[in-house]
Amino acid sequence: MALENLKGRVAFIFEEVDFDVDQIVGVKNIKIQDIDELAAAAMQAYDPAFRDKVRPGDILVGAGNFGYGHPHYPPMKAMRHLGIAGVVAESFSPGYWRGEISMGFPQASCPGILGLVERWDEIEVDWDAAEVRNLTRGGSLPMEPLSFADRSMLEAGGLVGYLKRPTAA
Amino acid sequence: MGYTIAEKILARVSNKDAVKAGDEVMAKPDFVIAYDFPGYTDVIFRQMKEDFGIDKVPDPDRYAIFIDHMVPAATPKEEELHIITRDWCRENGVALYERRGIGHQVAAEVGYAVPGAFVVHFDGHISQLGTFGTLAMGIRRNLLEAFVRERVSIKVPATVRVNLTGTLQKGVYARDVFHHLVRTLGPASCRFQVLEVGGPAIEQISTEGLQTITGLAMFTGAVTAIVNPDKARLEYAQARAKKDIEPVWSDDDAEYAAVHEIDLTDLEPIVVIPPTPANSRNLSDYIGIEINTGYLGSCASGRLEDIKVAAEILKGRQVAPGFQLNVVPTSQEIMAAAGRAGYLSTLAEAGAFVSSPSCDYCFGRMGTMTAGQRAVSTGTLNVRGRMGSPDSEIYLCNAATVAATAVEGKIADPRPYL
Repeated sequence: MALENLKGRVAFIFEEVDFDVDQIVGVKNIKIQDIDELAAAAMQAYDPAFRDKVRPGDILVGAGNFGYGHPHYPPMKAMRHLGIAGVVAESFSPGYWRGEISMGFPQASCPGILGLVERWDEIEVDWDAAEVRNLTRGGSLPMEPLSFADRSMLEAGGLVGYLKRPTAA
Repeated sequence: MGYTIAEKILARVSNKDAVKAGDEVMAKPDFVIAYDFPGYTDVIFRQMKEDFGIDKVPDPDRYAIFIDHMVPAATPKEEELHIITRDWCRENGVALYERRGIGHQVAAEVGYAVPGAFVVHFDGHISQLGTFGTLAMGIRRNLLEAFVRERVSIKVPATVRVNLTGTLQKGVYARDVFHHLVRTLGPASCRFQVLEVGGPAIEQISTEGLQTITGLAMFTGAVTAIVNPDKARLEYAQARAKKDIEPVWSDDDAEYAAVHEIDLTDLEPIVVIPPTPANSRNLSDYIGIEINTGYLGSCASGRLEDIKVAAEILKGRQVAPGFQLNVVPTSQEIMAAAGRAGYLSTLAEAGAFVSSPSCDYCFGRMGTMTAGQRAVSTGTLNVRGRMGSPDSEIYLCNAATVAATAVEGKIADPRPYL
């Protein structure tokens, strides 16, 4: 099954290395269950007008070891609710990576991405070519190919869909 | 080229003669472990039935559940979660360990840290079973795979070898060694890799100390940590082992992603300043910061040697007025041993609040701080809000530093007390 390319604007660039994603909603909001309320709390510390600017299909960009610490699921639930389609980062922390891939949320590891894009550039994540392209300014960078299992999980929309498929081994 | 211990273990559980870093395999965990936590085990149990039609796990001896969070329950909802767990374990014939202590520690005590075994959990601190030559990985929600299938998909990780050399100074402990590793190598140095700890200096680090180091591995980015087992650790683990597995060791010519040598001779006690576990600093630069509360416990520390040094420092002294010192032994077995040795009475006489094993102090369900407060802690993590208000602060340090700080009410160097 084909994995659809991500094509969207860079809605925000988290330049902090070892970024703790919990800061996206703020730790005091991490237990909010209501998704609208959670989404309203998202990005307040970074760009209070974020939710008015973001469009479905937009992409987040991160620095090295994105998701370090003890990442929780609510921040990216809020981001998906706002229309964010995936994250491209220089590199990812394994716990965060596993957690979000299992939610079926695309993540692309692309060393050098911070030098390739500026906020609101339109970019494309091409899974088959293992490449991230800047459609606004031109230029591209190779990304690390997904493992078979990670790719299958994204294609299946997440862990449960993946596990319902017949096993390869 | 030879193989790492991690590659050897993953080859066995994948039914292959050999695997190398980067291979994708379907591996059968020897043990599947979890603690009950809302949104995790209750969801896994429900999904097994509703999404996959599995009424019972086929091989119950491979599974173990621990009740170590929300102990004791503080709300009816918490107790309801425990009931779901107890019922599921009974219906499935799966071992349940309740009120025995923090699961990652108890798992070793009751025999899941089998040298050569492959273990999965959703929580990354299970890596501490690596002390005994067990490959134990926290795979987060993918743990569901281990509940609904016999095998889990794993990309064989490369290994970073760290050789510890030199001589540890007085007042410097395993905890400092780990935080120094993060400082020296960086918080992403072992990303998606196994941290293999060795070298001549590990002779000076106790089994408990190695559990501290391996248990915190995720803060180097590692997916787990492992130590090639020696005679003493083999004896501890094999006497309790729930399964008969041939231990394995890394070959001398194993292929590592990197090999680092770290000399511990000049290492001083460390403090990890808020708000990230990447912030290792020399303790001496932070002496005198006013502190409100101290926590000695968690799956990372809170073992007998931690409690012993705290008792030695607090013997004949008193916790500073207004300072709240919580001492929480990591397991019942440790608590009983600390009681027999007289450490607990010493700590109680000094004004410490001594509590039964529980994970709850580590993540702020108990011993909660309000805005503006500061803690010294042997817990696992110092991110914002970990022990209560996002506007409180956590300074991670060794157990001796917690005790000395409790005496002075401000961050204190434990060495003059030793």
